[in-house]
Amino acid sequence: MSPAAPALLELQRAVCRGIVARDDGDAAACIIADGIDPAARLGIHRNTFASVLTNSLRLSYPAVHRLVAAECFEGAARVYIEEQPPRCANLDDYGADFPEFLARFPPVAAVAYVPGVARLEWAVNRALHAQDADPLDITSLAALAEEEQARVRLAPHPSAGLVCADHPADSIWRAVLAQDDAALAAIDPAAGPVWLLVNRAETGVEVRRLSEDAWSLTAALFAGRALHRALVDAPCAEARAVLAEHLAAGRFSGFSLADPLTS
Amino acid sequence: MQQFGHSPIPPKAGIGLRFPHHQAVADTRPDVAWLEAHTENYMGGGTSLRCLETIRRDYPLSLHGVGLSLGSAEALDAAHLERVRHTVDRLEPALVSEHLSWSVVGGIYLADLLPLPMTEEALDVVCRHVEQVQAALRRRILVENPSTYLRFAHSTMPEWEFLAEVAERTGCGILCDVNNIHVSACNHGWNASAYLAALPPAAIGEIHLGGHARRKLDGGRVLHIDDHGSRVAPAVWTLYAEGLAHFGPTPTLVEWDTDVPPLEVLLEEAARAAALLEEVERESGRASAA
Repeated sequence: MSPAAPALLELQRAVCRGIVARDDGDAAACIIADGIDPAARLGIHRNTFASVLTNSLRLSYPAVHRLVAAECFEGAARVYIEEQPPRCANLDDYGADFPEFLARFPPVAAVAYVPGVARLEWAVNRALHAQDADPLDITSLAALAEEEQARVRLAPHPSAGLVCADHPADSIWRAVLAQDDAALAAIDPAAGPVWLLVNRAETGVEVRRLSEDAWSLTAALFAGRALHRALVDAPCAEARAVLAEHLAAGRFSGFSLADPLTS
Repeated sequence: MQQFGHSPIPPKAGIGLRFPHHQAVADTRPDVAWLEAHTENYMGGGTSLRCLETIRRDYPLSLHGVGLSLGSAEALDAAHLERVRHTVDRLEPALVSEHLSWSVVGGIYLADLLPLPMTEEALDVVCRHVEQVQAALRRRILVENPSTYLRFAHSTMPEWEFLAEVAERTGCGILCDVNNIHVSACNHGWNASAYLAALPPAAIGEIHLGGHARRKLDGGRVLHIDDHGSRVAPAVWTLYAEGLAHFGPTPTLVEWDTDVPPLEVLLEEAARAAALLEEVERESGRASAA
């Protein structure tokens, strides 16, 4: 790159290296010092990049922020931001992989339940910001011919998500956000796994526990398994009751008809 | 879809609507002429969008974006432009604005409004992207002058000329951020009044006011930082009055994004802008009567 007359794309790539990877050289050579080290001028943008994105992660993961303490959270965020900078200008979508990152980030990985709480927080964040969609009108299913009904695939509401955690992530999450130390102390992290359903209702985001079987059925339906086949294969006797509750709560927003050969 | 209609933004004082004030604005319907929201904050659904839609029934609305990256050498992010179009269609704002800056390269979003070199190449890029956005939204947009902390050695024209040329070539309007002019002028030794005077009054669609900070760097030099974290500085009020004398009465917005204070503080700042606007209205009324 010629510092005397860099092409715009070359210059922008150099500034990006300076901001994300702290590799200032090429960009600094293009900047007028005017009494201040060009690297210090670039540093203002590096600070903004780090602070805006750390704040974005803090807003998406408030319970993790409290659980691991601010300093540790900021350290983790700094490394994560450098490794996985955002690919989208809508920062509500930034940080989907943060739970997996935390699971392999040594200072945090020692606390086994943190990644589970983080996955729950991401599902809550998704539910908060998901697009609006009308719930599925079940009369439209009833109007289908019998042959078509066997091929129905339900589409989950955009806010609906599932989380499975090895620890009682929901109880920990609630206690931490409520700053209820007594409740937190009463939780046995080894109490076993939880199967959680997250979705946005009229009153806000709901997090509820399902049985393992109901969760598996719901996961199959959310993944687009044909409804008929999912119900036949469901390991639980209450499959139809689970489906009825999801439909009544508006956790599906549409349907399509599967190809007869793949249903 | 709700039908709001394009209530025009009056040449009066408005405030930036931020999440901490949603409930207070919805409940108390404060006496402020219009509101501006950040486009990127309302791209999803749920309660915040519903709240804005409710508030929006009673106030003219402007949408102010930070993510289109008009100055990117590469193509605009089509998915983001589509999100902006969807949000604009849904909320039907009277004004839509973006920044004279860039924030995306190689698919990475740098979460900042980064400065451009003031070159013919950058001018062509910005004009092409402004035209693309205006075509996608089927409306004129406003482009805001940035606050900057660095300049590139290969720039060939002053920022005010660059901005005026973007408006001239694309037909877009200018969002004149008076605080940004003050900040950049302090940082680069420009004459803020000359900057204002060089902007074409007919293109000015909106004025922004906000607070800034002063940061002392190693070596003792001070940089002014546009952090929207305090009241509008006295020097910026003076420059604003100069701007109004030059542009005539213009919709004016008070922004506050860092350490957001109680709503009353924003309303006080807006009332101060409103008083200056009324003065200019009276004077322009006298001038046209004479």
